[in-house]
Order: sequence, then C-alpha cells, then structure tokens
Amino acid sequence: MDSHKPGTPPGDLAIWLFIFAELLAFGIFFLSYAFARSHNVELFNESQQHLNRESGAINTVVLITSSYFVVRAVAAIREGMSRQCAHWLAAAIGLGGVFVVIKLFEFQEKFSAGITLSTNTFYMFYLSLTIFHFMHVILGMVILVAVMLKARRGGYSAEHHTGVETGASYWHMVDLLWIILFPLVYVIR
Amino acid sequence: MHNIENQRSQFISPCTRIWLGLLVLTGVTYGLGEMTLGGTQIVMLVLIITFIKSEMVAGYFMGLRQTSLLWRAIMASYLVIVGGGIAIAYLMGLK
Repeated sequence: MDSHKPGTPPGDLAIWLFIFAELLAFGIFFLSYAFARSHNVELFNESQQHLNRESGAINTVVLITSSYFVVRAVAAIREGMSRQCAHWLAAAIGLGGVFVVIKLFEFQEKFSAGITLSTNTFYMFYLSLTIFHFMHVILGMVILVAVMLKARRGGYSAEHHTGVETGASYWHMVDLLWIILFPLVYVIR
Repeated sequence: MHNIENQRSQFISPCTRIWLGLLVLTGVTYGLGEMTLGGTQIVMLVLIITFIKSEMVAGYFMGLRQTSLLWRAIMASYLVIVGGGIAIAYLMGLK
C-alpha cells in the first residue's frame, strides 16, 4: 500500500518540497508587488482600474471548482473507482482550459491596447505575475492529463494512488496561489 | 461497504461545504472590489478573507488538516508572513 504515512501530506514528499519552493518564489513576488505599490500608490490604483475584475473573479470560481473536482477524483480513487477518478479529472482539466481561455482573452486585450512589461511598474508586475501563474496552470494541466490517462488505463487502485494525490496537491497549489493573487492585484487599492 | 461509504462521506461532505464557502467568500471579495473602496478596514477585511480561503484550501483540499503540526505550521507561517507583509506594505503606502 503506497498511501501516505500518517501525519504526512498526501502524495509524494518531493512534490511538497517543490510546492513550498514555488510558494516561496510567489511569496517574494507578492511582497515585491506590495512594497513597490507602497511607493507608487496612485499609479497602481489608477492602472488597476483598467483591469477586468469580472474575469479575475470568474477565474477564481473556475479554479476553486476545478480544485474541488480534483478532490472528488482523489476520493474516487481511494475507493478504487478508476473511471470516476478519470471523469472528475477530465472535468477539472476542462475548467483549467476555461481559465486559460479567459486569461488569454485578458492578455490579448492588454497587448492590443499597447500594454507591455515596460508600460509602467504596475503592468510590469501584473503581466509577469499573471504570466508566471499562467505557466503553472499549463504545467498543472499537463500533470492532470498524465494522471487522468493512467487512471483511465486502470493504473491506480485504492491501495496504490500516490500519483493521483501528487498531481492533486500541485493543482491545489495553483488554486491557492490564484486565491492570493486575485485580491492582491485586482481588488486591494 | 458501509464503512467505506462512511469514510467517503466524511471526506466529501466537508470538502463540498468548503467549496461552497470558498465561492461565497470569492463573491464577497469581488463585491468589495466592485465598491472600489480603499481604506485600512476594507484592505484588512480582504486580507483576512484571503487568509481564511487559503487555509480552507490548504487544510481541506490539500489535506494538511490531517498532517502533523509541523506541516500545518509551515503553511500557516507562510500565509501569515505573506499576508502580514502585504498589510505592512499597504500601511506604508498610506503615508
């Protein structure tokens, strides 16, 4: 049986080291944004007004729901239900795709307005933070697709499903980071 | 079989409630953003909501609630340091 030891988090220990390294990198990024803002409050508040807060909020709902579907996938495989696990993962990946499409529209809107990394300090942070997170969403989707395909082939069982928990932990981290990023960049003024 | 069903509901039911709670708190955060209100109290409220949401995801979705104190302390420390740093930076911007 390869389920995690009592007291340790679900999934492979290595993914948790990776998760905390990622959280640290994003944490430094978040604090850099916040302290840069403290020196340019008017610029940040004015630029923030041009962000699409609706799409940010919708993407928050999308990622939270996707994370919940991954929870259901983990619950399914813990009972040995591979097909249900694959179905929940497919739904989570689908919502990941919705996030990507919404974000691409948002990026396209900004780029077509002539906004780049060098427009001002706010947009430098906005674009680099959201693009950095976007890349993590893509990587998370690739991981979930690999896990889903293995689950569909019956590669996991109630006793052996560390791979599902590992992929799930990474995806939840992507969700957690967006939960911090959305209010920080789109809401707080 | 009954035991498995019981274990399943013990895992899924709290997570379903957490999911619904996260959606409600996201709505509150969005609503506060739409009011375009600044001010220390609003910012602190948004940060507290964000901390609660993050703890909900870490504890229930990521499963840290079932782990040893060390793992939970690492995550809680991270959220406090990042959230506290953002709050300090915001207060510095008021001057």
